[in-house]
Amino acid sequence: MRFKQIYFILLLLIIGILPACNTSSPTKFNGVVVGISSDVESLNPLFSFTVNEGNISELLYLSPLQFQWDSSKGELIPQPMLAKSWQWSKDSSSITFYFRKNVKWTDGVPFTVKDVIFSFDVYSDPLVQSRLFGTFKSLYTDSSQHINLAKTFKVVNPYELIINFRKDAVPSLVDINIPIIPEHVFKNVDRKNLITYEKNHNSVFDGAFYLKKWNKNQSIILQANKNSFLYKPGNIDRLIFKVIPDYTSRLTQLKQGEIDLMEDIRADDVPILRNSNNLVITAIKGREYDYIGWNNLNPSIYEKSKKIVSNQFFGDYRVRTALTDAINREEILREFLDNHGEIAYGPVAPIFKSELDTTLIPRSYDPGKAKELLSQVGWRDSNNDGILDKNGKKFSFTLYIPSGNPRRQFAASIIQNNLRIVGIEVKIQSLEPEVFFGKMFDKKFNAWMAGWSVPIPLDLKPYWNSNLKENILNVAGYQNHQVNTLLNKIDVEKSKEKRNNLNKKIQDIIYKDEPFTFLYWIDNIVVYNKRIKGINVTPLGAVLHCWNWSVNK
Amino acid sequence: MKKQILNTIIRRIFTSLIVLFLLITFIFFLLRISPGNPTQKFISPELSPKLAEKVKESFNLDKPLFKQYESFIGNLIKGNFGISYTYRAPVLSVIWNFLPFTLMFSLMSFIIQIGFGFLLSFLAVKNINGKLDHLISKSSLMIYAIPSFVIGVSLIYIFSVQFNLLPSSGFSSINSYSLSFIGKLWDHLEHLILPLITLSLGGIAIYFRYLRDNLEDVYNQTFILNLRANGFSEKEITKKHVIPNAVSPLISVAGVELGLLFSGALITEVIFGLPGMGRLTINAILSRDYPLVIGCTFVSGVLIIISNLIADLFKAKIDKRLLKEILN
Repeated sequence: MRFKQIYFILLLLIIGILPACNTSSPTKFNGVVVGISSDVESLNPLFSFTVNEGNISELLYLSPLQFQWDSSKGELIPQPMLAKSWQWSKDSSSITFYFRKNVKWTDGVPFTVKDVIFSFDVYSDPLVQSRLFGTFKSLYTDSSQHINLAKTFKVVNPYELIINFRKDAVPSLVDINIPIIPEHVFKNVDRKNLITYEKNHNSVFDGAFYLKKWNKNQSIILQANKNSFLYKPGNIDRLIFKVIPDYTSRLTQLKQGEIDLMEDIRADDVPILRNSNNLVITAIKGREYDYIGWNNLNPSIYEKSKKIVSNQFFGDYRVRTALTDAINREEILREFLDNHGEIAYGPVAPIFKSELDTTLIPRSYDPGKAKELLSQVGWRDSNNDGILDKNGKKFSFTLYIPSGNPRRQFAASIIQNNLRIVGIEVKIQSLEPEVFFGKMFDKKFNAWMAGWSVPIPLDLKPYWNSNLKENILNVAGYQNHQVNTLLNKIDVEKSKEKRNNLNKKIQDIIYKDEPFTFLYWIDNIVVYNKRIKGINVTPLGAVLHCWNWSVNK
Repeated sequence: MKKQILNTIIRRIFTSLIVLFLLITFIFFLLRISPGNPTQKFISPELSPKLAEKVKESFNLDKPLFKQYESFIGNLIKGNFGISYTYRAPVLSVIWNFLPFTLMFSLMSFIIQIGFGFLLSFLAVKNINGKLDHLISKSSLMIYAIPSFVIGVSLIYIFSVQFNLLPSSGFSSINSYSLSFIGKLWDHLEHLILPLITLSLGGIAIYFRYLRDNLEDVYNQTFILNLRANGFSEKEITKKHVIPNAVSPLISVAGVELGLLFSGALITEVIFGLPGMGRLTINAILSRDYPLVIGCTFVSGVLIIISNLIADLFKAKIDKRLLKEILN
């Protein structure tokens, strides 16, 4: 009898609860929900190391300028933000910023140039360890890389500031465009403790939005700052970043309308998404590429003595070129990426139209040519076992890939089959990402597959300068003195056109040396709900300038 | 007797502290000798190469291993687990953000598992070898065999995608902050229905199988036949004799199970985007956040020990003979 009663109550509960449940849809409010895979670690712009952290903190804290992406020229265009205008000195040794007078922090304190100087001071302070520490190379700094404020800044009035650059520097607006923090809030904190200072500073902002609520590992809710000069009535008044770790769940919520925008959509999901009438699919040319790293150095000798000795397999550029010829990159691009990308032939993304050397042609898949090249270098199948050999050594190696990346796993198996055709034996081993990248930076692999995202503005030096101690990102151990000379010339060249030409020369040399097999540039597929109006997805990101968005309610 | 019980509890706490100390010492060295580097994320073309060195210094990772251990133990004695590399906040305060949810979620699931496990096993035993018994037994085996991620994804497909009845992820709606207290409570409940079903189904199946067999064994004992022959009512026999004898072995299992639940339900948390200890711990491991991994291990260890202690006390309360066994 009692069981029957329990059943009855349970049945009533189910009948009662389920119809009452109706998942709330974002279409009901004047805002946009962006789906992200993981929570941000900090909203403090001093420590916004990841892309999402940077995107969100830039909505909360304004910088002197904002940048737009000019896709026809492939370059950044500076526009006013906190500064309403700016003027370079004739010899480009200084710049004068004229700041807006009507900007206030959310606690009512007016913004002045004191905040700007304080921000530069804090960002460059070695005690703080901010994300920009050590990057102010064009400004006057002391031996600890801390900016010399007296030499660098001259206050004309509370809204006019002159920034002086080092005499030998090639200054750029990008280098000095930093999110400004409120002096009156941050000055009260011991700088050593700023890294752990998260709670209280989250109440004072000057951006287009302010932080309404941060539910850790759940959502970050930003509310439009109606006192900001960026606020336009009628535009969205709320922007929510919803943390959904599982990719499939994120995609389901996008289709259901629970979230409005999602980046990094996999190409194989595009056909299904095309069936949804409420979604817009955009694929923007990316600045991220996959590559196969061929260690130019002998890893064991380098590990023991840091001596530069040529790699037994990949030390010769002809072998590396042959390997690229032997790999069918078109097949991977077509089969896995559904042609959402393009074949890469160097380290400069096609979006950098001014810097890209368009005279170079991607090497096409040609196993015959690869075999011939390998034979010229002495790699022949002398014992007819199907594997090339030289001086008794088989051409057999392990290709390492980071685990958890289906694209690279797929590509690795294609590459294994491609290289088998030309007589090279490849074993594939995937490693946990932290382990993988640690070994990659230590140059312990012979061959590996990974990817780079090219920074805007373009900077090739960290990847291709031969000084391995200073340029840890030169993971292949690439050595070319001609490239070093050209990179050093770029550092001091003030003419943009000449810098572009130098970049093209570098691409030409790298194309011939083939230190990597550059695989493909990957499009960033962004999908958003049709109700969002005014969205402009660029290589700088999808949520950039989102205060201009409005929604169909 | 009471003094003896108190002494036993103090002894258990003391030995538990030693176990915890050994556990975190082991984890400390295991993490340090494992491959990977917490400062790796500071290597980027957009960052100065000097930053990684500075951060390494501030994390004390540039010091010899035993020096690091000495300073770790020194801080631990003061109750300081250090600063999380990822969250840039004291480890215990980070854990405190995630622990209440896990405790609540685990306890709810635990109660559901035990409750339904009991209910179904009684139903089955009442109809022993009948159709209902076969149906429940076969279904429980099937549910036990299905991985929880399959259950979770299927539930999302049915209740969120097809019928749009329940939310598919998160612990609260995006507009929940504007709701009343009751509204918020209802909102949380709605969000927890699918995760609770996902997490609990497997547990219900386990408890059902344990209890059903135990109950059947006890019902078949001769002393039950004796009791019936002596005119005891079926209700009295079940309440006073069958249940205590049948649940005793199950309580130890429940103690361990509860402790494991408290450590986090990773798969359920990931599928439904819930802010629990499972996700916190796995993210800490993947990002090599050493202080946070140690903190999570410590908290999980404490919860497992407490769960087992509670299970032992509960067992002793049900069966007085076991108290002597525990005291000895």
